[in-house]
Amino acid sequence: SSGDIFFLNEKSQKMTASRKVVVALSKVDGDDPIIHTATVSAPTNIACIKYWGKANKHYNTPINSSLSLTLDQSDLRAVTTATASPSFDSDRLWLNGQEVDSACTSKRFRACVDGVVALATDKVDSSSGKILVSKDDWKKMHVHIASYNTFPTAAGLASSAAGYAALVAALVELYGAKESYPGEFTAIARQGSGSACRSLYGGFVAWRQGGEKEDWSDSIAEQVADESHWPEMRAVILVVSDAKKETSSTDGMSTSVATSELLAFRAKEIVSKRMKTIEEAIKAKDFEAFGKVTMMDSNQFHATCLDTYPPIFYMNDVSRSIIQMVHKYNSWAGGIRAAYTFDAGPNAVLYTLEEYVVELLALVLKYYPEVGEDKVNNVNLKNEALEFQLNPSLIECVEQSSRIHETGDVKMVYCTKGGTGPQVLDAVSSVIDFKIE
Amino acid sequence: MTASMKVVVALSEVNGDDPVVHTATVSAPTNIACIKYWGKENKHYNTPINSSLSLTLDQSDLRAVTTAAASASFDRDRLWLNGKEVDSASTSERFRACVDGVAALATDKVDPSSGKILVSKDDWKKMPVHIASYNTFPTAAGLASSAAGYAALVAALVELYGAKESYPGEFTAIARQGSGSACRSLYGGFVAWRQGGKKEDWSDSIAEQVADEFHWPEMRAVILVVSDAKKETSSTYGMSTSVATSELLAFRAKEIVPKRMDTIEEAIKAKDFEAFGKVTMMDSNQFHATCLDTYPPIFYMNDVSRSIVQMVHKYNSWAGEIRAAYTFDAGPNAVLYTLEKYVVELLALVLKYYPESSEDYVNNTDMKNEALEFQLDPSLIECVEQSCRVHETRDVKMVYCTKGGPGPQVLDAAYSVIDFKIEC
Repeated sequence: SSGDIFFLNEKSQKMTASRKVVVALSKVDGDDPIIHTATVSAPTNIACIKYWGKANKHYNTPINSSLSLTLDQSDLRAVTTATASPSFDSDRLWLNGQEVDSACTSKRFRACVDGVVALATDKVDSSSGKILVSKDDWKKMHVHIASYNTFPTAAGLASSAAGYAALVAALVELYGAKESYPGEFTAIARQGSGSACRSLYGGFVAWRQGGEKEDWSDSIAEQVADESHWPEMRAVILVVSDAKKETSSTDGMSTSVATSELLAFRAKEIVSKRMKTIEEAIKAKDFEAFGKVTMMDSNQFHATCLDTYPPIFYMNDVSRSIIQMVHKYNSWAGGIRAAYTFDAGPNAVLYTLEEYVVELLALVLKYYPEVGEDKVNNVNLKNEALEFQLNPSLIECVEQSSRIHETGDVKMVYCTKGGTGPQVLDAVSSVIDFKIE
Repeated sequence: MTASMKVVVALSEVNGDDPVVHTATVSAPTNIACIKYWGKENKHYNTPINSSLSLTLDQSDLRAVTTAAASASFDRDRLWLNGKEVDSASTSERFRACVDGVAALATDKVDPSSGKILVSKDDWKKMPVHIASYNTFPTAAGLASSAAGYAALVAALVELYGAKESYPGEFTAIARQGSGSACRSLYGGFVAWRQGGKKEDWSDSIAEQVADEFHWPEMRAVILVVSDAKKETSSTYGMSTSVATSELLAFRAKEIVPKRMDTIEEAIKAKDFEAFGKVTMMDSNQFHATCLDTYPPIFYMNDVSRSIVQMVHKYNSWAGEIRAAYTFDAGPNAVLYTLEKYVVELLALVLKYYPESSEDYVNNTDMKNEALEFQLDPSLIECVEQSCRVHETRDVKMVYCTKGGPGPQVLDAAYSVIDFKIEC
């Protein structure tokens, strides 16, 4: 983390209050217990080149590399407080205000906590130089960790990437941990949840497959371009309604690896080329090339899901109509202005450039009309889009895709952009309140 | 239906005599692919990037009926489809390939009593043809009619000209130039279309019968015609875009289909429905996967199609074995393969989750009534409910219950699609 500190805005502070966890502690020999604490917020990320399929389940490593854009934390983030104290008698974890039983024995949780504590450094009093907590002391202390996401679970937006990135980043800050090689923290985060490793950096981030090393320590994330490289990049997230319960990513990708020959071919022969293509496109800020490979990779990922047995369907008819609208839009424009990508669910993320975002949002609001007041996260942008005069020939072009307009197909729209990696927050943002009794 | 699809052609007397008109009428079946053809290797010869295999369907409900007529009195080639004349059909590449291809294999028409040659093979080539055809399956059903149509065209011409193959399967090589999958409709039962390609002229790209219609008589097909407002991408255009843009398709054609052809042929020979059903479902999904991997992507299946897929998986999972196997072509319609012993149970499931939307919903009334009375196992219902299908009537427009059947059949002149009126 960069060490920057920023304060949550009022709305977020209200939310923090509802998800805050209160922990009662007793005095120790008449003194207040010593509690070490760190709070961070961490972003989610949206993959452009998809991760789908594990090469090694123990190390949680992928069959191919992947690449994503880390999203701005204004609307979508995980906030995590990690605390350690000699007074704690067990490891405890709270998510969105609810305690998670037996979290401390969960493999993913343990991999993150034990992984970071192994890299802990002595906590030294800055004035006296005295060691307050030695690296071995850290390992003996239990932890209490609480986390919440600001994006609603019902939205179906991937929260485990942000959550595990926040967990690792909070522990790093807590323990003053140092990497013994670049990217080591990301290797730990991926053992929490694969794509979490990409949320440890801002901007465009690659997750290198690795595998040359026996312990897969080379399977790490690497920043390709930071958040200030391509500031014109925008993402419009369409949250699509779906009554259907989705296949979990972990189960789904396991079945895909076991049954889809197309997936094996993709991982071996196609993704490497696409990683090169997309990295070049990002470096050159070539949206045409970036957009095309992004759309193709989203489709190919879903193609491998369909090639799974039994087949996995994440996209639905609304998702498909969004795809067709984007193709019509780009066709009308004579160039790629928007590029869709879908993860393991029906939600669409439409990448575009700042110069087109109002036009794109206007198109979205026309074909996926609003219900309810808070449908678009950014009210100014929404109003701009509602006033925007769409070109009649564009409307005609999109009409050809024969979409039957139904309100409620899209539940919410988030307009966002690229952003930074995890941020250290001030203690006032802490998710845990300790009450000394 | 024949009466309304019949075409009336006026002809003049020739020197006071009735003109000599040679005629042949056939009906030909459609077929449903289990291992899919998608992608041309050579557009001129109309040959595929991989082999394919299908079941030829019974002609009771679904067939193309074609009359081919030849006469020195005709002034040009003409074609009528479903009662309407098709302008400039005579110059269409597909039409010409079929007519010229079969005419080249014509034999002399000999008077059986006198031994006199009535029409020599060269004479045939000089006579223009009049051809009329209709399908008994509604176009709105979206069931592939070009396979049946071109198979009927070729079969009618073969009968008309007394044509003979110079090597086995040659007629199928002609039919595929009309429409690729038409070649498989020239035989009954299970038919493979061998990719070929070892011969420079692709004359080895032919259909071959794997097992006739009597080999596996328990095989049934339940066709669910799914409503779709969306206009579909044509197969010809779609497969061309797929070949041009999908790397997964190239891999499929080269590395996966040959193995699957072996697997399915073994399964058919052994009447192993488990193996047959699994590879059929996997190949349908893989075909649609390559459509999705196309740029821009092609979507033939919709949410109703997907719900049918999920219902079938739940059914098989509950049964502990494969009892039904879905397959989808270039459209949202589902074909569910099953065995005779399960067809009532399957139809009962279909009618429960895709309820009747009209009187003629099911083609076979007896079967429909049997299915409506069938008591579905409550644990099966519970299992299917888990797929969370939101029931909507009219998602499925029609249900055809059918089975395997023979290749093209010659029909009596009474079934002729063309009426010639001689004018004085």
